[in-house]
Amino acid sequence: MNTGVVGSRVVREDAWGKVFGQTKFPADVNLPDQLYGVVIRSPHPHARVKNIFSEQAMALAGVVTVLTAKDVPNNSHGVLFRDQPVLAEYIRMVGDPVAVVGAETLEIARAAAKLVEVDYEVLPAVFDPEEAMTTEVLPLHPELRPTNVLYHMPIRRGSMEEGWAKADVVVEQEYSTQHVDHAFLQPEAVLAHVDERGHMVVQTATQYAHYDRGEIAHALGLRFSQVQVKTMAVGGAFGGREDISLQILAALMAWTTLRPIKMENTREESFYSHSKRHPMKMHYKTGATKDGKLVAMEAKIIGDAGAYASWSINVLRKSAVHATGPYEIPNVFIDSYAVFTNNPFSGAMRGFGAAQTVLAYESQMDLLAEALGISPLEIRVRNMFKVGSTTATGQVLTGSIPLDQCLTKIAPYLQKGDDSQLLQLKLDIGESTPHEAEQGTSTVKSGNFSNRMKKRGLGLGCAWYGTGYGNGFPDVSSAFVEIHDDGSATVLTGAVDVGQGSNSIYAQIVAEELGLQSEDICVYSGDTDSTPDSGTTAATRQTYNTGNAVLKAVRQAKVRLLDYAAHKFSCPTAEGIELKEGYIGVKGDPTRSMPLAEMVFQARLHGERFISAESSTARSTPVDPETGQGAPYWPYAFGCQMAEVEVDTETGLVRVLKVVAVHDVGKALNPTQVEGQIAGGVAQGIGYALFEELELHEGKIKNPAFSSYLIPTALDVPKIEAFFVEDPECTGPFGAKGLGEPAMLPTIAAVINAINDAVGVRITSLPATPEKILSALELFLKKGGAGDKVGI
Amino acid sequence: MIDIKLVINKKTYTLNIDPRERLIDVLRTRIGLMGTKEGCGEGECGACTVIIDGKTVNSCLILAAQADGCDITTIEGVGNRRSPHPVQKAFVEVGAVQCGFCTPGMVLSAKNLLDKIAHPSDQEIGIAMSGNLCRCTGYDKILRAVKRVAEEGEV
Repeated sequence: MNTGVVGSRVVREDAWGKVFGQTKFPADVNLPDQLYGVVIRSPHPHARVKNIFSEQAMALAGVVTVLTAKDVPNNSHGVLFRDQPVLAEYIRMVGDPVAVVGAETLEIARAAAKLVEVDYEVLPAVFDPEEAMTTEVLPLHPELRPTNVLYHMPIRRGSMEEGWAKADVVVEQEYSTQHVDHAFLQPEAVLAHVDERGHMVVQTATQYAHYDRGEIAHALGLRFSQVQVKTMAVGGAFGGREDISLQILAALMAWTTLRPIKMENTREESFYSHSKRHPMKMHYKTGATKDGKLVAMEAKIIGDAGAYASWSINVLRKSAVHATGPYEIPNVFIDSYAVFTNNPFSGAMRGFGAAQTVLAYESQMDLLAEALGISPLEIRVRNMFKVGSTTATGQVLTGSIPLDQCLTKIAPYLQKGDDSQLLQLKLDIGESTPHEAEQGTSTVKSGNFSNRMKKRGLGLGCAWYGTGYGNGFPDVSSAFVEIHDDGSATVLTGAVDVGQGSNSIYAQIVAEELGLQSEDICVYSGDTDSTPDSGTTAATRQTYNTGNAVLKAVRQAKVRLLDYAAHKFSCPTAEGIELKEGYIGVKGDPTRSMPLAEMVFQARLHGERFISAESSTARSTPVDPETGQGAPYWPYAFGCQMAEVEVDTETGLVRVLKVVAVHDVGKALNPTQVEGQIAGGVAQGIGYALFEELELHEGKIKNPAFSSYLIPTALDVPKIEAFFVEDPECTGPFGAKGLGEPAMLPTIAAVINAINDAVGVRITSLPATPEKILSALELFLKKGGAGDKVGI
Repeated sequence: MIDIKLVINKKTYTLNIDPRERLIDVLRTRIGLMGTKEGCGEGECGACTVIIDGKTVNSCLILAAQADGCDITTIEGVGNRRSPHPVQKAFVEVGAVQCGFCTPGMVLSAKNLLDKIAHPSDQEIGIAMSGNLCRCTGYDKILRAVKRVAEEGEV
């Protein structure tokens, strides 16, 4: 499809305000006479609140209120179940809020918080999901589930007996991943006040203003129409702003005191007030024939849901559905579990359950390739999904499945300096151009070290990701469009721009349809009083889903505009009318054309306006609860990455020297933003693979600070070469699919596989810290080096 | 309470403050310069970066009183829509801005580097920017933007 504005590197409108420091995040707004709220959180992972003594705090000059559970009209919230208290009486994790203090200054509020005495009855707690699963451990949510198993998803496909019988090679391994924090740079903040209408107005940074509105209304006993959630600039989200953090507390205090309430988390408080990425244990057994075809796979996945349900059911479902990797396996037996414990609650985080399994399935692929004596690329090519492939859930993949194209693009980069095997390999995935091959030649030669102690290696990782809510839950986005009298237009949508740039994508879509430029379009989003509910900015769904809604809306307005113009120009049909460069007229007849502005203005004088409202719904089917069979997601996005690493065998330190990332995007609506998503994903993948880890001791976070919870700096991220494959997705706007989450998935595997390539040790538990690498190396050398691969 | 004098973005402020007040609080709360962001409060993230007498400083780590008599540049003192600083222009055009929370600090670190070294090497750029954390961009386009200005010269 020929497009002008769509597909071009349009500059984001919001970038200017951000480089000048003008953009307002929620901490940057204040109101006269505001109070400051500070939360008192439980230091215990499992306890009952027996008493709260707030007299001393209230006696402090400047303290206005101390609110506890008894002050909350409806004391619950939650994305799937309302299983989380606004203010807890029964504590299920360290950090559960038990009281909130309001005072004239932040200093007084903090001092008063220390004076509130909470008397706890401490209960025995459970931190290991496997222990928590047993029937001996009392359930943390008896009202939801009789045991701590919140969710079990089985996938049953084919016959395991047949599968294992056909397998010439079988590899079996246990993998594990860690608790990870989103570590978005902007800590949670809220400004809540009751306005002149008597409405509860909450200004915050969220991924879903309409969800927040519903939870605030529920907790306070208000109607949706009485609550306005207005999204300020969002300083990163990555899934960590899907659950409620401070919003209800601030609203509750504003409602009870009738004063504006400002609440701001410190970084430490932030670590305690949002979800975490699920740590998982994954036991994998995979079999292949001697010609490298996968024939059987068994996996048991146990995810630590922590103290509350949040999105755990959906996350562990996604783990199961994606557990095979993007490969055809006829016989599959998967069990995936989400288990309650007294650890910090797990929820949504970029990759949403499909990030953990990448470590397992891509490590298994390399292990199989090694056992079979074929290259990592070759085994993937022999098994990858293509159009017509059937997934483990029995879903037949139609349409855009361009993993072959992604692998074709990356193949030259996997070539080692003195190793021509890859280029000689006649892949049925097409030829790579010499230009690419030349560019791609890496600095790694077989057995080549930059020095004796530092060894280099290359790793490949592939991944797939089903976008959208999935599993039969209707995925609805909505948008309003108005074409103005001067020929410019406004789009209103609930879809929150969390920093990824969705607003500017919608501007491009509307500009493209109306023959305008991006600058001619105003996009306003994430305000519940003026924009329609467009679902969460999550599940890699806003470009695709809300993009579709915006496209439908602008086309609806455009149809009436074209009809009006056809009548005006005495053109027999609207098909004969075109919108181009700010003009509207009869195709191929420059004499019958006028500025769009003039047409819209004249139409108004005749009582005609071009305003539209549309929704777009993506549908999936729920999987069968017994067999896991169904078509849970659409569309799927694919990608592969190559990482080159250098491992210091003396210190165990890994440096990532280069990453090449190739991603399937359907159509890159804005190539600059696509590259931005890829690079951001790669950096998060590197952090996840190499150093990010929340250290917990009995549910308490030992490193709730950026000095001890390390995220990648500019020196940890290598040069990233980002490529995209455009194989249009017929259901997407201009053929586009989402990319946000898939971008980080292959990195994890590419880095881990590259470490193995460099030093011959396979790290199976994330993160691959220097300690783990050194002890694996030690074992490796004890066993005589080459040959015996060591896992740790 | 003590009296201090700060020159912020070429404007002189005489303030009567609590000696315990951090510079970031004085900038944000007393002066209303909200472009300086607080991301961690312990000098790790660099979102609160300001330039003091030619040096980048985490304004969450110093007391306002320590900056008495100093010349301070915040993001509000660097460029505007009519005449953006080359670093700001490059950030926008290269696509180095996503959520924007780290951006003011990033711009100031880059500006200060280029004020001192007109044509820094990749390594010098990496080191100069490594005190500013970003969770969205993977730094790729940020480093490219700084490099573009470095190559174009004349800041």
